[in-house]
Amino acid sequence: MIRHLAVFAALGLPALLEAQIRASEVGTVSQTIDGTVISLEYSRPRARGRDPIFGTKAVRWDEVWTPGANWATTLEVSKPVEIEGRPVAKGKYSVWMVVRKDQPWTLVLEPRWHRYHMEPPDSTKDQIRIPVRTETVPFTEVLTWSMPEIRMDGGTLAFQWERVRIPLKVTVQPSLVMTLPAADARDYIGEYRFAELDSAGKESKVSAFSITHENGTLKGRWTPDDPYMKKFALIRISPDWFVPGIYDEQGTIYEVLKPDLVVEFKREKGKIASFVIRDMEDNVWGTGTPKR
Amino acid sequence: MFANAIPPHPKPRPGITGSRVLTSDQLSKSPALIPLFDSIREIPEVIDGIRCNCGCTNPPEFYSLLSCYESKGMARDCVICQGQGRLAVRLHKEGKTLDQIRAAIDAKFA
Repeated sequence: MIRHLAVFAALGLPALLEAQIRASEVGTVSQTIDGTVISLEYSRPRARGRDPIFGTKAVRWDEVWTPGANWATTLEVSKPVEIEGRPVAKGKYSVWMVVRKDQPWTLVLEPRWHRYHMEPPDSTKDQIRIPVRTETVPFTEVLTWSMPEIRMDGGTLAFQWERVRIPLKVTVQPSLVMTLPAADARDYIGEYRFAELDSAGKESKVSAFSITHENGTLKGRWTPDDPYMKKFALIRISPDWFVPGIYDEQGTIYEVLKPDLVVEFKREKGKIASFVIRDMEDNVWGTGTPKR
Repeated sequence: MFANAIPPHPKPRPGITGSRVLTSDQLSKSPALIPLFDSIREIPEVIDGIRCNCGCTNPPEFYSLLSCYESKGMARDCVICQGQGRLAVRLHKEGKTLDQIRAAIDAKFA
């Protein structure tokens, strides 16, 4: 019966596609990371008392299976990414798994993305085939794709159904370079007098501001500490313009304040003479001058 | 499908003027923005050569950042439009070229 319904669906009968209660309802997961959009669309089968699922007639060992149902699960990336260290070009792919009992599974990204689940692709050169590790987890009733972890440079795209979980490390192309060569950093390093300005342009608060170069990254810090920014990265966005990168407790940048705050340095005779910090609306928040 | 990468900056339209930039009468609910709109009106040939990066849904007549300061006046409510406008005006006063202003806008807002 299921196969007959599948044939009807494969014929594209439009009446079946609207207002229909499906055993495997369509779901999507979409995540933007540093300007790269990662989207996955899939039908979500339920276990419905089937346990186990893998290694049975539902999903046989060594089968090339789409981790979803009905039309093959699709993955679309708006820019090139890496999945488990393998380059994946911008584009849309159908997603398949080679399901194995005692060996790593294989993730297959097939450029011909509009395929029905009963039409698994043959192995071709233009496919991306990635060995993936499976984890054993508590039973999951509904096949689920999610993005449970997000980093500055990517995230984890996770598949989960029955007692199988497959985490896929996705890495995006960074839009900013966090490091600054020592030769370039030298001009900015030092102690500064920093003055916050009020709306009338008058000094409202004065503090010390220091710039250091640590582990290849230019860093700024107020004394006393700004409770939110603490010691932050200064990330160059153009010659003499920098934006703050905020660190988490593990020392990883998790937020870049762009365009919220831009530190604009000014030079006189080639040397740093001052800087201004401007907000998103180009208002001056404060000014800094080197301590002599 | 996804939109393409960031589009190029628009080419300023020959003979473009600032006559459609909202006036003080049209900004009565936002008097603090009048100086900004006045400054934009003075350099339409610059502002018309800048792509707006605010990501809002642009109206059909939209062409450039200048469009944000005209007609429906998106810049009345959008701090990104305002920030791009202020930055462009400031850099123009500092003598920067349109390409230098575009580069600064891209560095901060794109």
